[in-house]
Amino acid sequence: MNTPVSLSTDGDALVRVDNLRKVFGGKRWMFGKAGPAVSAVDGVSFSVDRGETFGVVGETGSGKSTLGRLLLRLLNPTDGRVMFDGRDITHLSQSELRRLRGDMQMVFQDPYGSLDPRMKVGAIVAEPMQVHGADRSQIVRRTGEILEQVGLPPATADRYPHEFSGGQRQRIGIARAMALNPKLLILDEPVSALDVSIQAQILNLLRKIQRETGVTYIFIAHDLAVVRHISERIAVMYLGGIVEMAPRQKLYAAPRHPYTASLLSAVPIPDLKAERHRKRIALHGEIGSATALPSGCRFHPRCFKARLKASADGVATAKIADDVVVPRQCVESDPQLQADAEDHFVACHFPLEPGEAADHGITTTSND
Amino acid sequence: MSQITADATAMRDREAARRRRRTAIRRYTGHPGFMIGAVIIALMAIIAIGAPWIAPNSPLATDLANTLAPPSWQFPLGTDQFGRCVLSRLIYGAQISLQVGFWVVLISLTFGTLIGALAGFIGGWLERIIVALIDIMLAFPGFLLALALVAAQGSSLTSVITAVAIAYTPRVATVMRSVVLTIRPRPFIEASHAIGLSSLRILIRHVIPNALPPVIVVATVSAATAILAEAGLSFLGLGVQPPTATWGSVIAEGQAIITTRPLISLSAGICIAIAVIGLNLLGDGLRDTLDPQMRRQTGGKML
Repeated sequence: MNTPVSLSTDGDALVRVDNLRKVFGGKRWMFGKAGPAVSAVDGVSFSVDRGETFGVVGETGSGKSTLGRLLLRLLNPTDGRVMFDGRDITHLSQSELRRLRGDMQMVFQDPYGSLDPRMKVGAIVAEPMQVHGADRSQIVRRTGEILEQVGLPPATADRYPHEFSGGQRQRIGIARAMALNPKLLILDEPVSALDVSIQAQILNLLRKIQRETGVTYIFIAHDLAVVRHISERIAVMYLGGIVEMAPRQKLYAAPRHPYTASLLSAVPIPDLKAERHRKRIALHGEIGSATALPSGCRFHPRCFKARLKASADGVATAKIADDVVVPRQCVESDPQLQADAEDHFVACHFPLEPGEAADHGITTTSND
Repeated sequence: MSQITADATAMRDREAARRRRRTAIRRYTGHPGFMIGAVIIALMAIIAIGAPWIAPNSPLATDLANTLAPPSWQFPLGTDQFGRCVLSRLIYGAQISLQVGFWVVLISLTFGTLIGALAGFIGGWLERIIVALIDIMLAFPGFLLALALVAAQGSSLTSVITAVAIAYTPRVATVMRSVVLTIRPRPFIEASHAIGLSSLRILIRHVIPNALPPVIVVATVSAATAILAEAGLSFLGLGVQPPTATWGSVIAEGQAIITTRPLISLSAGICIAIAVIGLNLLGDGLRDTLDPQMRRQTGGKML
């Protein structure tokens, strides 16, 4: 049970991340005072297999977008290691990185801002191919091909991004990212700026592309319902750390971390009766500040389970606010991410037992 | 069958492309300010280039029998105190003014854009130094700076152009830097890093094209101020040296006799005013039409 994180993969990992850390700020400029240091990503480890879709979920400020940028080295990690395709890319130079960009691409959250408004769609999609030295006829052919693949008519190439709707623009963004046939595509909240009906279309398109090309996805979202549709394995992030990581079915059927459970209880159920009768777990307070991480377990100030556990017999407790008592362990030691069942990792001193989630109002529909 | 549909699609595409080109042209022709400005500047350019054929007399030929003549067929705007044809002097003066406007814009736009873009895009120490230098130069009134430079260099067309260009480059650079600062954090710049573009190529392909429209507007308007500056320098006798005809020197020479022959100074002043108004209208028109996101709202609706 108490083994340190050794992420079971059959050696075919496309991405492997070891203890990745990113701290923003905290440096002094000349004589000034040091600014506050923000640990956006705080010791994250995982690996992603080829052809897999790995979901990363967390609320605003959990460091999930920073994590995506660290994987692509759009930001430089403060500490830790990123392996891509069997190669350590943590310390590659900018020119080596640029060559690698063909294999790892990103789709951005904002379909309005992520396309250059002064370029025609054809040029936008062709640009990565030009950068990576494809010849002209090849580019023309591939542009038509990729536009068709994302469901846009070829005439699209001759128009400007502002002539399109959000969903169509996101298709353009996907076309641009897929133009070089990357091995890894990081999707940074690709549908959260879109209408719900359009979200489904884009998710289906992403699935179709994965079937056709075998590309690996890392899907970042704040919405568990969306991630569920597309991911095979899911990591839940809270304040820069992964608190739970499991295959989709296990995570949704039996969440073990109290934070995951509370997130799941907030997902609406498309059944009026069930929706009316179920209980919700309301968390205490807001997501904490990454400038001052809580001691011990980063989730303890908001945890419902810790409060319940503290009232049990034989648990050493600590008082953290006027009438809030939690187990001493939660305040004093930071729980490591540990495998507790096969492929199910959780970072909690008192993980939820199977079935306990249901008592807290998490209804799991088994439609996957 | 599929061949026919393919042809039909291709035809539709070509038709759509043609329609877009037409709307692109109409965007400019439908903007009255742009059209009036463009026509004024085009006319002035034609007059300046065709001066030897258009001007009724030589701008330098003195006719001492005909000093301070009133308007006549031979001298449509009369003559000055040396008996030179005022209209011909104004026509040749357009050459100087437009040359100054053109070269000053070209020089200050090139250097201002580069300096501003580097400062805004690279940031750090380079930006601090450039901004400090720009601030120092901006603290000088532009005209005074040009005046000092011409006084130091000696009066000639080249030194007027250099002096005015140096005085106006920091203005363009400030605008460029501030626009680049708004573009740098936009997601498509990060997206360009993500596809593997180098910083230099991002600057050239994405940052500068997106930053140019407001800068071009500033540059067009600064062509107007450059023409004014040249006229001012010539008026003070520091510009292009007599007897070469410039609008500023025509005003200066007419000044002595402004109570008896107001037409001389006045007509040169009107020339300057028309050129400046034309360039300002052109600048406003460009501002409205250059931005693809503004295109939907403007064009045609102003008439």
